[in-house]
Amino acid sequence: MYALQTSHLHHRFANHDVLRGIDMQVPTGSIYGFLGPNGAGKTTTLRLVLGLLQTQQGEIRIFGKRFDKERIAILRNVGSLIESPSLYDHLTASENLRLMQIIHRCPTSRITEVLELVGLADAGRKRAKQFSLGMRQRLAIAGALLHRPELIILDEPTNGLDPSGIIEIRNLLMELNRRDGCTILVSSHLLSEIDRLATHVGILGKGKLLFQGTIDELRRCRQEVLSIRMSTSDNADAVRAITENGIAARIVEEEIVLPALTGERIASLNRMLMARNLDVYEIRTVRNDLETIFLNLVRE
Amino acid sequence: MTAFIHAFHSEWLKRKRSFASTLVIGGSLFTPVIVAVVRLIHYRGLPAIYAAEAFWPNLWRACWESMAIFFLPLGAILATSLITQIEFKSNAWKQVHALPISTVVIFLTKLGVILVMIIEFLLLFNAGMYVSGMIPVALPGVPNPKGAFLSLPLLRENALYFMDVLPIVGAQYLMALRSNNALVPIGIGFMAWVGALAAVSSKVAIWWPYSYTIIHYLSDKPKGAKFAAYTELHWLAAISFVLLTVISYVLFITKRERG
Repeated sequence: MYALQTSHLHHRFANHDVLRGIDMQVPTGSIYGFLGPNGAGKTTTLRLVLGLLQTQQGEIRIFGKRFDKERIAILRNVGSLIESPSLYDHLTASENLRLMQIIHRCPTSRITEVLELVGLADAGRKRAKQFSLGMRQRLAIAGALLHRPELIILDEPTNGLDPSGIIEIRNLLMELNRRDGCTILVSSHLLSEIDRLATHVGILGKGKLLFQGTIDELRRCRQEVLSIRMSTSDNADAVRAITENGIAARIVEEEIVLPALTGERIASLNRMLMARNLDVYEIRTVRNDLETIFLNLVRE
Repeated sequence: MTAFIHAFHSEWLKRKRSFASTLVIGGSLFTPVIVAVVRLIHYRGLPAIYAAEAFWPNLWRACWESMAIFFLPLGAILATSLITQIEFKSNAWKQVHALPISTVVIFLTKLGVILVMIIEFLLLFNAGMYVSGMIPVALPGVPNPKGAFLSLPLLRENALYFMDVLPIVGAQYLMALRSNNALVPIGIGFMAWVGALAAVSSKVAIWWPYSYTIIHYLSDKPKGAKFAAYTELHWLAAISFVLLTVISYVLFITKRERG
């Protein structure tokens, strides 16, 4: 079951295809990291999902219902933060939340609760114009959580937050997901952030969904051995011996770097070096890290 | 209906501490305060003024002159533009459209708040007028005014002026919903009001949405004699407002990007 599903979502801005057939599937109860470089179409997708842009082609379903048919019923269970926070500077933090609390018809006590959740318990009476960028971001997140939505859509929620703020918001989202079972769709261009937070990931590049699945699937399907690194008692002699065996070897940062080899080939190289009285201290394979996988995907 | 009431309540809170709400209070009380201050300065002439049979109608005309020509149209231009622009200024249209309320409710509640603020403007003005008439009574030798304030055609005249200012609200709302810079609707509105001042010398003013409050005030005066035949002025104003509102709504719902 998917909390959010898009089919063949296309969008054009001034003769430029921003989205080219996005089939997004956000499983219920997941934390779905929506990754992509700047300009990939993440915000456009999220704006379409929330009805802030008119759908030109394709279909959006949230909780199994068509968004264009049941917009209001769907939005009752969706909390969102798109791009920069929407705050009324002349109103206090509590008043900003009160505006939404009236519409959502949730208990007034929720205002204090969400302010505490995002670490703004003491700032409720402060006007929003006095808030720092990080505090504004927290208040906007509080607004998204106010009515205990089943689906939370956050576009770059950690923008403007300091490192401890990023960790707090990450922990808060993970706690909400674990405790309340709410589905969280979070976009970011920071892979490290998504890696720590998300259970599922969708990678968007040039208007196309390049990958979609769990983080582990992403690692598994793209992970490959890039090179072998080796360290011996005499690296220069070892390189000569390996090269004589027809393998291109070189020394980089006091390590011998070899191309990817089979396990048998590595074992025979090890025996050969020992036969030449060279002590082998370390042999290791270097694999793609998640960042390399991401970069390879979006560059393709 | 419940959705409308909740959305209206939410919209009404947004005007708290806003420049528009300060303007409504300041603009509506400006003329009565000036009248009271001037009368207190020239207190020697007050016994004669207060002894006049038509004390309240005279005060009414004196206050309405600046209100009908200046404060009411300009107040409507500024209040409508500023209230609508709160969303642009706060970058909040996207949040408003992501709330579980229909587009028609979003459109009507904001317009409703503006209309209630115009009513508030008129109520404060009338209350201010009464207070400005009663303050000098506290001075020695100033008698109680003859006649009763409530004998004035308060309800009818205020209702008609309200109808006359509606086209300005409609036109400003249309512009303010389309422009993300508050200065654009305010600037155009100001120019349109100047245009109305210039147009009242001619009969064509009857077709200019910004001129109805001015024509209304002039209608029983020699300058406005040419408009005497236009008894349907207020209905024309109401129809203009409805037309402008329908155009605004169509443009609002067909907007490709919401916030």
